[in-house]
Order: sequence, then C-alpha cells, then structure tokens
Amino acid sequence: MPPHAVEAAGLVKTYPGGRGRPDVRALDGLTLTVPAGTVHGLLGLNGAGKSTTTRVLTTLSRASSGEARVAGHDVVRDADQVRRSIGYVSQGTGADVLLTPRENLAMTARLRGASRSASLDRAAALLDRFGLADAADRRTGVLSGGMRRKLDVALGLVDAPRVLFLDEPTTGLDPEARASMWNEIRRLAGEDSLTVVLTTHYLEEADRLADGLSIIDRGRVVAAGSPDSLKAAFAGDTLTVDLVEPDAALVRSVAAGIAGLGDVVVHVEGPVGRLVARTPDGPAVVGPTIAALQAAGVRHGAVGVSRPTLDDVYLRHAGRSWTAAESVPTSGTTSDGSAAAAAQTAEVAR
Amino acid sequence: MSALAQTGRVTGGRASWAAQTAEVCRRWTVDLVRQPWGLGVSVIQPVIWIVLFGNVFESIATVPGFGPTDYLTFLVPGILMMTVLYSGAWAGTGFIEDIRSGVMDRLLSSPVSRSSLVAGQLAQQLLMATVQGVIVLGIGWLAGARYDGGVLGLVVALLASLLLAAAFCSMSAAVALLARDQTALIGISTIVVLPATFLSTALMPVALLPDWVETVARFNPLTWATEIARTAMSTDVDWGLVASRGALLTVLAAVVAAWSVSAMRTYQKSL
Repeated sequence: MPPHAVEAAGLVKTYPGGRGRPDVRALDGLTLTVPAGTVHGLLGLNGAGKSTTTRVLTTLSRASSGEARVAGHDVVRDADQVRRSIGYVSQGTGADVLLTPRENLAMTARLRGASRSASLDRAAALLDRFGLADAADRRTGVLSGGMRRKLDVALGLVDAPRVLFLDEPTTGLDPEARASMWNEIRRLAGEDSLTVVLTTHYLEEADRLADGLSIIDRGRVVAAGSPDSLKAAFAGDTLTVDLVEPDAALVRSVAAGIAGLGDVVVHVEGPVGRLVARTPDGPAVVGPTIAALQAAGVRHGAVGVSRPTLDDVYLRHAGRSWTAAESVPTSGTTSDGSAAAAAQTAEVAR
Repeated sequence: MSALAQTGRVTGGRASWAAQTAEVCRRWTVDLVRQPWGLGVSVIQPVIWIVLFGNVFESIATVPGFGPTDYLTFLVPGILMMTVLYSGAWAGTGFIEDIRSGVMDRLLSSPVSRSSLVAGQLAQQLLMATVQGVIVLGIGWLAGARYDGGVLGLVVALLASLLLAAAFCSMSAAVALLARDQTALIGISTIVVLPATFLSTALMPVALLPDWVETVARFNPLTWATEIARTAMSTDVDWGLVASRGALLTVLAAVVAAWSVSAMRTYQKSL
C-alpha cells in the first residue's frame, strides 16, 4: 500500500448544460490527498462537488481533465484494479429491495468471484458484524432506514476493500441510527485500519469522524487539514447576536465601530437576523456590542459566545456561512443585496 | 470480529464472465418470482389474447383466400410471438429501476463485466419467454388448436420466439440505458410494438392484408418469426423458409444485442 490511499490532482469535470445553457463545471481543479488508514471527510454543500469527486475516484465518472490514483492505481488506466480495491456506498440504496440482506451480500461476493460457500460465509460474517443477523432473511425493502444503510455499508465491505467510499452515509437517518452509523465507521477505521473517504454536509459528522477534512466549495478544495488544525487557525471566539427586524446595513456600520470585532457577517432571513463576528476575547466584547446596538435602536435577542466551530472554518474559506448558505432557497438578502451573488445569503464584511 | 476487512478477501481470482452472467440472471429471476403480480399478468395476457382474438376474428377463416386451416391453429403462432414481443418490450424497466435506486452505481463501481450485466438480464428474459411460450402453446392446445408439425415443430417455433425475444429485449434494454426514463421507455415501446403487431401476419394471413401493409409486413421481424412457427407447426414444413427467416432473426438479434452492450458503455460514459 502506498502511503496515500487517494491522490488526485487538478480534477475538472464538466457536464453539458443542455438547451444552449453553458456547461456545468462540477469540479474545477480539485486536488486531494488522503493518507492510508485514515477517515477523510469531504465537507461541502449540496452541489459543491463532493459526490462528483467520489464518482471520479470510484471510476463511475471520468474526469474531463486531471489525474487520480486510488490505492496506487490510476482511475482511468487501471480502472479494473481500482474497482477491485474499493467499496462504494452511493447516496442511493445500492441494495436490491426484493432480495434479502443475505442474498444481496452473497450475490455481491459471487459477482466478485467467491465460491457459493465462501459467499455465504462472508455474508454471514458481515450480517453479524453489522447486527443484521435477525433481519438477514427478510426482504431488504421492509427494513428500517438505519438497517438498510448498514447493509449498504456491509455491501461495500464484501470484498475487503482497501478504500471505502461513503457518499452521505447518514443523510436521512434519525439521530439514533446516525450515532450507530458513526460508531460503525469509527470501528472500520480503528479495528480494520481501512481508509474511509466520506462525503457529508453535516459539520458535526465531519468533526466527529474525520481525521482529515477537505472543505469543498464550487468544485475546489478551499481548505484542508484535521478538524482541530482547521479550527486552531482561529484564535479567539465567535460572537453571535440574534436580531429582530434588523437593518443589515445599520447593524454592519454599528459593528464596524466596535473595537475587537472582525469578520462580521450579518445574515437576514425574513423578520429575523443574526450577527456573527470573530473576536480575540468574547466575554470582553459582549457588553460594548449590546450597548452599541441598543444605542443605534437595533432590537436583539440572545447573545452568545462560543469557541470556533467548523462553521467558522467554512465561513472563512467559502466566503459564506454554513447555516446561511444551507438555507439558500428561502433566502432573504442583505439590505445592500448584491444580486449577483444569488447563492449567498450572507455577506462577509472584512 | 476484528480485522474483518483484512481477512475477508473473498476473491481468489476473478469471477468468470459466465459465472457473473449466471449470477445476474439468477438475481433477476428471483426478483421476478417475488413479484407475483408481474408474473401473473405475463401468463394471463396470452390467455386473454387467445380467447379474445380467437373469438373476434373467428369469421376470418370463412373469408375466401384464408386457406384451409381453422383460425385458432393459425392464430396460436402469432400469439406466441406477440407474447414474447410485449414482455420483451418491458425488459429495460429493470435497468431504469437499478439506475434510480443506486444498484447500478454499485455494480458499475465493482469489477463486474459490463456485458455480463446485459447478458445476464437477457438470459433471464429468455428463460421467462420460454416458460411463456410453453404456456401459450398449452393453452392453444386446450382451446382446440392442433400442431401437426409434432414436437420438432414446437421446438422450432419456440426457438424462433426466443430469437424474436432476444431482439426486442435488447432493444428495450438499449433504449432504457440511453433514455434512462421509465415514461420514455413505455412510450417508445408502445410506438414500436403496437404497429409491429398489426403490420405483420401475426393476426391476419398475408392474402387478406392491404398491399402496402403486406409490403411493410415482409420486413417485420414479427412476421419472420410467425412464418417460421406456422410452417414448422404444419404438416408440410417449408425448411427453406425456416432457414431464411431464422437467419434474418439471428442477425437482427445479434445486432440489437451488441447495441444494448454498447448502450451500457454509453451510459457509463455519460456519468
């Protein structure tokens, strides 16, 4: 095994726009390195390019340009070798709902060259491992979402891959099933020293699971490192003030006058808003900030000070707030609204 | 259960193409059997056709120019071909479902031969067509049709129906993989299948068809297959006709099957 499970450089992927529209550039020079034996998170919003990256690395899609190696094999020239070295759990189910979990697992093993008895042994071992033994002979279609997702992961592990790709493994799961899935993923990395590449748009998931992170925005990696190192780049605290019917421009000008506030973001959605700012000393600026806002006639709600989160990291590198950017379809705009930045509901004023 | 991933390598070498195809075929067969609704319809459909067409068109046999056979005996080979045609036209729906659900992604990211994914599904369709064909012939017999060509005639008729099925299943698969849309597949299948039925000799002898229909019918694979079955199941078998129409069907099936394999590759390239 080479030191890196995944090495990708300059990946570009364009899709035809159709009906005279310009091409869609899903990947725009993406570069990525994943050390073997780690859990690596690809963190980004829907449409950022995470899934496309995964599809290129699993040989499903071919990049328009750029190169990638997985488990030491080129994804285009040695596609078959890559396919033998990986497991891929897509966003969809991946299992045949009319077959039982046991049949799904055994079929997968058979397709990969196992004898009938070896395929059944392997299926039994994986069913045990994922706590699916009781459901092994029921139709996959009637299982709970959490059980089906575990089966999907088990299907990815049938042939003992060296790299396992998980595309949004916990999307749509209830909190209990999600916690259970997180345990499984951690176990895979720990006990089985597998390399896991997972995409997620849950900050908490990335924070909890990933040894290394690549934050992806608009088809590029905008920041990479461990969650801690990414957060450590931010000395100090985050100040958050909930606002009632705010005038964004006014709030911004007030905030600009307060000593010790930086990276101010004012996000307005309907009648409510939020001021988020970076500060070297959170407790010290709470008083002056409230006083200044009240003096300017801005009504506010809860005021909070917190240690940096991945949301802050994302804010810095992608130029927009995570929670703000997630609520794009229902967005309000800031009062000096830059119409061009349609995807942005918050603006960074530095 | 630690280090499961390391100890679990199940592939000594690689599955042979035949083994992969057999496994894909087995999967679709299990799927089919577990959908009793679909299975039931595909059996009931020919029964309805034989009863319906047999009664509605019965008087055709009295029209001058029809010939000496009774209509039911004339009709059964046509119904046999229509049955596999209509079933075959739906063959692609399984691929669309796999694309939608994510099963296709999983298969394509694994070291499985692309052509075995297509061939295995086709093999299952042909198995089903064989069962359907036997049922159609059985029902026809019970309804009063007589097969003077004996067992050999029936076997030749079934083989002709399998060639026709192979061509239409492959067409359906190719359209499914290129259009990737259930509605489009149903639309295209209907546009092809219904005219193919009436612009053929499946229901009506050539002598009673209008001139232009007769011309079109001559190039219709459904006519070729029906002609083979009719002559093979009669007392006076025209082996020259069996050979020439058989050759045409074989070439057609091979060409369309190759198209469906290339459609699988086109599908992957579009991802």
